Parts: sequence; C-alpha cells; structure tokens
Amino acid sequence: MTAALQAFPTAPIASDVASRDATNDADARDRAPLSGLAGLLLPTEPVRPETSVLDVAQQFLDSRHAGLLSLPVVAVGGRPVGMISRYELMRVFLQPYGRELYGRRPITALMDRAPLVLPLSTSIDEAARTIAAHVRSPITDDFVLVDDAGYAGTGLVLDVLHAVEHRLAERSRELERAYARLKASQSQLVQSEKMASLGQMVAGLVHEINTPLGYVRNNVEMTRAALGDAARLVSAQQAVIDALTGEAEPDDDLDTRFAEVGHLRTRVDAAALDDLCGLLDDTVHGVGQIGELVLNLKDFSRLDQAGLQKADINRLVESALRIVAHVLRKRDIEVVLKLGEIPPLDCAPAQINQVLLNLLSNAAQAIEHERGRIVVATQALDRRVLVVVEDNGKGIEAEHLSRVFDPFFTTKPVGQGTGMGLAISHQIVEQHGGAIRVSSKPGTGTRFLVVLPVSGAAGAAP
Amino acid sequence: MSAPLPSVLFVDDEERILRSLRMLFRGRCEILTTTSGREAVEWVRRRPVHVVVSDQRMPGMTGVEVLREVAAHSPATMRILLTGYADMDAVTASVNDGEIYRFIEKPWVAQYLVDTVEQAARVARHDFALAAARPAASAASPVDTAVAARVAVLDDEGALAAQVRELLPAAVRVEHAPDLEGTLELLADHDVAVVIARLSSADGDVADALKQLKRLRPATLAIVVSSLRDSRLLIGLINEGQVFRFLLQPAPRELLRRGLAAALERHAHLRTQSDLLQRHAVDAPRHEPVATTTGRLLQAWRRLREAAMLRIA
Ligand SMILES: Nc1ncnc2c1ncn2[C@@H]1O[C@H](COP(=O)(O)OP(=O)(O)O)[C@@H](O)[C@H]1O
Ligand SMILES: [Mg+2]
Repeated sequence: MTAALQAFPTAPIASDVASRDATNDADARDRAPLSGLAGLLLPTEPVRPETSVLDVAQQFLDSRHAGLLSLPVVAVGGRPVGMISRYELMRVFLQPYGRELYGRRPITALMDRAPLVLPLSTSIDEAARTIAAHVRSPITDDFVLVDDAGYAGTGLVLDVLHAVEHRLAERSRELERAYARLKASQSQLVQSEKMASLGQMVAGLVHEINTPLGYVRNNVEMTRAALGDAARLVSAQQAVIDALTGEAEPDDDLDTRFAEVGHLRTRVDAAALDDLCGLLDDTVHGVGQIGELVLNLKDFSRLDQAGLQKADINRLVESALRIVAHVLRKRDIEVVLKLGEIPPLDCAPAQINQVLLNLLSNAAQAIEHERGRIVVATQALDRRVLVVVEDNGKGIEAEHLSRVFDPFFTTKPVGQGTGMGLAISHQIVEQHGGAIRVSSKPGTGTRFLVVLPVSGAAGAAP
Repeated sequence: MSAPLPSVLFVDDEERILRSLRMLFRGRCEILTTTSGREAVEWVRRRPVHVVVSDQRMPGMTGVEVLREVAAHSPATMRILLTGYADMDAVTASVNDGEIYRFIEKPWVAQYLVDTVEQAARVARHDFALAAARPAASAASPVDTAVAARVAVLDDEGALAAQVRELLPAAVRVEHAPDLEGTLELLADHDVAVVIARLSSADGDVADALKQLKRLRPATLAIVVSSLRDSRLLIGLINEGQVFRFLLQPAPRELLRRGLAAALERHAHLRTQSDLLQRHAVDAPRHEPVATTTGRLLQAWRRLREAAMLRIA
C-alpha cells in the first residue's frame, strides 16, 4: 500500500483542485481519523443521466463545484450510474466541432460508466488501496460515495491522500515516542542491572571487610587492655624491687604491693602475652586483607580513570576474580587460570570488568555441586584477544541457549536474576567491535567465549 | 566458684574471628567454637548450650538457618547473630524464623558483646533450670491461650485492623487505635497481649514507643507491619524492642495469621511463667522519646507508666 501511495504526490494534479484543498485541508484532517470515508464526504449535488452535456459544463462553472474533478451522474432513486470529469468535457470541447457535436446530447454519452464507487463505511486504508488500484495518471476523477440508500455524495482522492499522510505522520510520531520511551527504559535497565550487581558486590565486600575488621578491632581492644595490665604489673614489680633494694622508703604496704603483683600476674603471664602476639599476627593479616580489598575495588571500578585506554586483559581478569573471590571461596570453587601472553588492549576497562564479572558470577551461580571448577583462559590470536570462561555447572538447556543474551531472560528466582547480565555484556562486547559466544552441555558445563579486537572498535565508539 | 560457667557456642567460618572471641571470653564461660553450621546444630543436640553466637554468611548453612534449628532443638538456648553485613532479608528472617535475642554487627564493641552474651547466658541458665524442674510444663494446654486475650492494632488506615479482626477467633478482643495516643491509652487501661503496629516512617514516634513499651510491658508482644526495607530500623526494633514479628507490607494473610497465633500463645506462656520474661529484656533505646512528643502523648505515657508501677507493686 505504501509503495502505491508514494506515486500519488508526483501525479499532476489540476491547479484548481490544489487551491481548493488549501481551505478544506484542515477539515479533512480533523474528520478523517474519526470515521473513515464518512469524514471526507462532500454532499455534491449530482447530475441526472438525461442532463445535456452543455448543462453539465455549466454546472462545473458553479462555484460550489469549484474543487471537484468530476461530477456524479445519478439516476432517479439514487443509483449512481456514472461519473463525468472536467477532463473528459475539455477533451471533447477541444475537438473540432466537439461542442456542436456533443453539446445537446445527454451526459450519458460521455460519462465514465464504471466510476469508482465506495461505501461510506470504507476505512481510509481500504479506500487508499482501492484508489491506488484504480487510479489513472493524470488523476481525472474523484469517487462516488454510497450508503444503503444509494448515492450519498462524492469524495476527493486528494482528501484521502491527506488523511493517509496525516495518519502516517501520527503513526511515526507515536513510533518516535515509543522508541524514546523504550530507549529511556533500556538505559534505566542497564543502570539497574549495574546497581543490582553492584549491590550484590557491595553486600559481599562489606561482609568481607567487616569480618577482618571484627577481629582486628577486638584484638586491638584486648591488646590495649592487656597492655594496661602489663604496665601496671611492671610498675608494681618495680615498686616491690625498689622497696626490696632499698631504693625507696621501705613502707608498710609492701604486702599490698606483693598482693597486687600476684594478682596482676594471674592476668598477664608469658602465655597470655604469647597469645596476644598470635592475635596481633592475625590483626596484621586482617589489615592486609582489608587493604587488598580496597585496592581491588579501586582497581575494579577505575574511578580514577575514565573512558578508553590500554589495558592488560590478564590484570582485568585477576581483578574481577578477586572481586568474586568471596563467592567462589564460600562455594569451594576451584579456579584454573590459563593466561596467555596478551598485548595491551584498547578498551573501556570498567566495562570489560563488568563483562568478566557477569560471566564469572553466572558461572559460580551455575555450579550446584561440591566439585566446582571455573577455567579462565586468555589467548592472543593475530590482532584479536580471546577470553574463555568455562564452568562445570549445570549447563544451559538447548532451548534456552539462543535466548541467554536476550534482555530479561533469566532462569533464576526473582531477586537473584535480572536477566540483564548477558544482554549488557553482549552490548558492551559489540560496542568494542568484538563478539561473544556461548556453548553448553546440560549437566556438564558451559563455556563463554569473548573475542575482542586489540585495537578496539574501529569506528564504533564504545 | 559457685555455679559452673555457662556454655557459649561461637559459629563463624573465619577461624580468626573464633580465635579472637575465644580470647575475649576466656575465663568468662565455657567456650565452644566451630566453623560449620551443621556441627553447631549437632553440639546443641548433644549437650546443653546456653548461648549460640553465629555469623550469618557462611558456606552451607546461613546463620539464621543455624539459629532456627537451634531454637527447634533447644528453645531455652539464647540466640545471637553476629554478622558483617545486615541485608534486609537476613534481618527479617532472624526475627521471624530465628527469634533472636540480639542482632550484633561486626566490628563489634568488645564490652557490649561481653555484656550481652553474659546477660543472655544468665537468662538461659535460669530457663534451663526451670525446664529441668518442670519437664512438661512448657507443653501445657495451648488451648486457653486465646481466652479473653486482647489485641491492639495501631493503624492509621484501618485496613490492617479489619484484617486482624477477621483472622482471630471471636474470643479475642481486637481494639483499633488510629494513632499512638489511642494505643497507649488502650495499653494503660487494659492488659494487652499483642500490639500490631503499622509502621510508616522509620524515625516516627511509633518505633520509639514500641521500644519503650517493651520495657514497661515485657509480656506484651509486638508485631510490626511495614513497607520500609530498612535494616537499621529493624535491628533497633530487635535489640531495643524485642519485636516479635516483622512483616513486610502487604503482609501475606497466612504469615499474619501464624504470627498472631504464635504471639498469643507466647503471651499466655509468659503470663503463666513470668520468669521467662527476662528473655524479652531489651537494650536501652538510643534516645528517650519524650523529646519529640506532644502533650497528649506525654500524658498517655505517664498513665501507662503509672499503670505499670501498679502492676509491679
Ligand atoms: N555459566 C552459565 N551456566 C548456566 N546457565 C547460565 C550461565 N550463564 C548464563 N546462564 C543462563 O542465562 C541466563 C541469563 O543470564 P544473565 O543475563 O546473566 O541473567 P541472570 O544471571 O540475572 O539470570 C541465566 O538465568 C541462566 O539461565
Ligand atoms: Mg547474571
């Protein structure tokens, strides 16, 4: 239909019609969408079959008919029998003696006996289709509108065109709006997936940090208390020694001092101080762990660096692994690293991190048994870098395999899966000019392959 | 020394936490430690354990799961969660499933932890002794629990009150108060078994009031219904208010019904064995509510306090 309609604007249109439509144009627009052709109905007074050709020519001059290309010929009783166009009259009158030969004959002699007749209830689309099938170039005729009682009026091809055009414009505006909405909601989704994985990550990290912080703080508090005791013991012992060696006034509370030393010695002895050293070793270890976590987090989010840069994919893998380390450790999952010699890669590291994090956490989540194993391998293959993340988890059902990259596709319970992880990863990899592939065997495991060009996306901005 | 030391079981998958805790509690109690939730449950089945202090995030069983099983095998054992991350689901489950005594976050303050565990141990020893003296007492007729019990619903909308009324047998009187003043007046005049409160803001008077109330009326149990996913608020309600159930709005009918039934039964139990009330001891609220309250509310509080005094006398 669209293709047929596109031919219309190029068809020559009588200039008087063009001027007329400037005034009726707005009406046609307002009415058309409401009731199909009924909205375009012109109550044209028809000519009778017996009317002479000259009289019909006279009627064409009537200002009420100024906008019409043709006049309907309607028999008594309302049956439309034909249509006579200005064009046809003109053609006849321009012939030598045309006026004299035809002038007094009834209009039936010249009229088109098979005009386009459309029921009022016809929709605009339907009418456009019928007109497109009937139309001649140049457009010389309008069409007749009928209802149950017969002749109802005429309709203009041009009005139908305008109505169609109007509706197309309306539809494209709607499409545009829908597209804008979709785009907004997609970027929202990307954001919320980011927040969701960030939220999970933060929960894990907070726990990971607060655990060492718990014993570090406790150990330090206990050490401080023990040092207080030790200091008191030292000074009590000193006082006793002083008293015994005569350095100080021998006074009568030597007994009390002895008692104090005795009491303090039950709280601080060599064994207790030994334990304390053990606790301090733990403390140093804990502080180191916290420091490492914070460093990784900083590395991972690259808050201090933005956009495209050269990055070592192996380092990104290691950093992503450290972020999910707590999950892997809790599930006793063994990680096998097979990192190759890789040239620096042009990429947005934070985004590649997100891809790696998604693949790793999916892999971890897919493992339900005790012998979990994730293999991460990197390899350079002429100007391209391959990253493989492979697990021995439950695998992906064959009928799901083609859908895992679809937004919202998830097999995980609400609250655990957003179904956006792989969709976003896919998008990121594509924006880098790369590709991501999956293969899986249910019950055995899943392998994701990411291919990235070393020189980044040529042309496409990530 | 007089009584043998109480036994306290610490559960954490980080060995260093256990080492640190062992040192902190040395000489104060008999210390048991394990990195496995399953083993912790085994300990409690095999021997009396007065207090279990568990981490939440552990491989295998979560802390809430451990504490729920502990409660099932040994209801007299006091349960404390000591965890590095308080996600809302874990805190909610710790109230509703674990019925825990305290929710403590890492890093903890040494003195607070020691005091809390010792306090819990005292309560537990008392209950263990009680249970030993009256072996079958706790299983006594749960049927007459609902008789003449009174339930107060604090709900500014009224829908919750209607639902509670519908869920409870006719013998239970359900009183509806649209505001806090009304609720406090109800509490001053009557012996209320359960307060069901709709909580619409975290820092309003209602949360504070529930905490104060627990101090004045430890036998009155609180069920909070709220759409607020605020773990800090809930931890406050646990530690300072011993909230009995926390239901996220809209509260599923069945959960509410079960919560109400459990609360009525517990209340009846508490009334017959007032010794058990110590289990509902709370930490002092971080701040007194009086600062923000209006004259009428103040009046209601005063009446409630006086009523509480009379009851004690
Ligand atoms: N390593 C994997 N093993 C098994 N299934 C996987 C794996 N990775 C992805 N899937 C499947 O693909 C789905 C979509 O993954 P994703 O887009 O990351 O969303 P989500 O993890 O939130 O469900 C998952 O729900 C899961 O069914
Ligand atoms: Mg995922």
